[in-house]
Amino acid sequence: MKGNDLKYSGSLIQIKGLYKNFGKLQVLKGVSTEIKKGEKVVIIGPSGSGKSTILRCMNLLEVPTYGEIWFEGKLLTPIDPYLHPEIIRLSKTYQKMLVDAESTGDKKPREQVDAEIIAEIKQKDLLKKHEGGEYKSAIKTLYKSNFSDINITRQKIGMVFQHFNLFNNLTVMQNLTLAPVHLKLKSKAQAEEKGMELLKRIGLEDKANVYPSTLSGGQKQRIAIIRALAMEPDVMLFDEPTSALDPEMVGEVLELMKELAAEGMTMVVVTHEMGFAREVASRILFMDDGVIKEENPPKEFFANPKDDRLKEFLSKVL
Amino acid sequence: MSAFFENLWRDFDDCFLSYDYYMLYLKGLRNTMIIAVLASLIGLLIGIITTGIRIAPKNNKIMKVLDGIARLYVTIIRGTPVVLQLFIGYFVIFATMKSFTFFEVKETAGIWVAALVFGINSGAYMSEVLRGGINAVDKGQMEAGRSLGLSWTATFFRIVLPQALKSAIPTMFNEFITLVKETSVAGYVGIIDLMKIQKYITTQNAKLYVPLFIIAIIYLVIVLILQRIQKILERRFARSER
Repeated sequence: MKGNDLKYSGSLIQIKGLYKNFGKLQVLKGVSTEIKKGEKVVIIGPSGSGKSTILRCMNLLEVPTYGEIWFEGKLLTPIDPYLHPEIIRLSKTYQKMLVDAESTGDKKPREQVDAEIIAEIKQKDLLKKHEGGEYKSAIKTLYKSNFSDINITRQKIGMVFQHFNLFNNLTVMQNLTLAPVHLKLKSKAQAEEKGMELLKRIGLEDKANVYPSTLSGGQKQRIAIIRALAMEPDVMLFDEPTSALDPEMVGEVLELMKELAAEGMTMVVVTHEMGFAREVASRILFMDDGVIKEENPPKEFFANPKDDRLKEFLSKVL
Repeated sequence: MSAFFENLWRDFDDCFLSYDYYMLYLKGLRNTMIIAVLASLIGLLIGIITTGIRIAPKNNKIMKVLDGIARLYVTIIRGTPVVLQLFIGYFVIFATMKSFTFFEVKETAGIWVAALVFGINSGAYMSEVLRGGINAVDKGQMEAGRSLGLSWTATFFRIVLPQALKSAIPTMFNEFITLVKETSVAGYVGIIDLMKIQKYITTQNAKLYVPLFIIAIIYLVIVLILQRIQKILERRFARSER
């Protein structure tokens, strides 16, 4: 690992000061958290709270407006200078403010002046596009030593969607083998062998050569899950995986997800299934109005909620 | 009653069989089909390029400028009548070419100019059909491909485009059928297409209605055959997913 050890503390995914605006609408208003290896993080919250957006930011299906995302010590987003005091110090704005502060003749300690200026710059969003060559090259250097190719990173991040998104023009087996074969991770024979093994695991080996349109919702979602597994990812993201299913099919999908959890897969799950959260989660995040209002292990989370909005939310869904 | 049929037969004889007039119709039909087929090939090519420019990610200036040009092209072509485009294409471009004496331009070149003009016209419509087909493919298909680590290009060509073509190809064939009929205005600029044959025959034997009906029947038969082919295409593409 190169560059900034500070940024990599053994977490699989690190989210730092994330903001996301859709036009004028602020969906995320400063979210920071990290996902450790083996953790099962469940994200709950009312609709419009930003829980799907934060999940989709983790593999850059949504590009955050501000903030940084790190995956296995590699940067997925551009550098956000506001997160790096050492870069802010190189900016013309900072240096000008420093000179101004010193010329007032106050005898404040140097560290305090520094902290005050940085806080003011962050708060008032004072950094401009052009802040001088040193500032620019510091950002460039930091980025160059840490950035990663998003297409390669995504191979390690499996994602399961609410609406399954199986490839309609391909058979089930082609769905499972397209990415591993196209990305030259496996030969066609290897990929098909792995695909068959995964299909057997979910008891759908007889569906290998049919098209997705002939499958039930539950079957589609389980195949979507093993399509992600066929890439042998380090983490699986689930975006409301059971919300579009008939009630009688929810069980089979949750069952497969529980199996994955038991095998030690790192999982981030956006869901409304409180039972699943209680049973499987190692940590639950409650999101509301674009921020994480509370995060705790399930026992504490359900037994002793502190945030008022969470109390209200739980009283409605439990 | 029988007198009516006798008259009809005589008119038909005068306007179709005698003096080998039917060869004239055939010649006109040939020119009509040459213009239509060439124009739809040119249109297909332009349509694919225009669509490519319009849907590709716009992450640099060149793509943005090209996108602007593509939009302008579609807007202008779809916003003006095809006859007007033909007049401009023929009289302005063709005439300018002719005025350069070192260019040996034959009279028959008009048919190629017409094919080009109709092709440029058709390209705008083809691109709208193709783009519509691509936009109709669920956004989740692209997201699923990208989430597996496939590039935009790979996902587009392996997943999105095949699904888009399924709905777009029958509609694009429809464009071709429309084109066959639309080329009937080529006579305005002196091209001898099927429609123009009526004028030739009427000037020779002063019969107006009969050649018009003969031409109508020829167009109708051609279009019915093409619609038949379109139905087969549609069924073919619908079946590929079962």
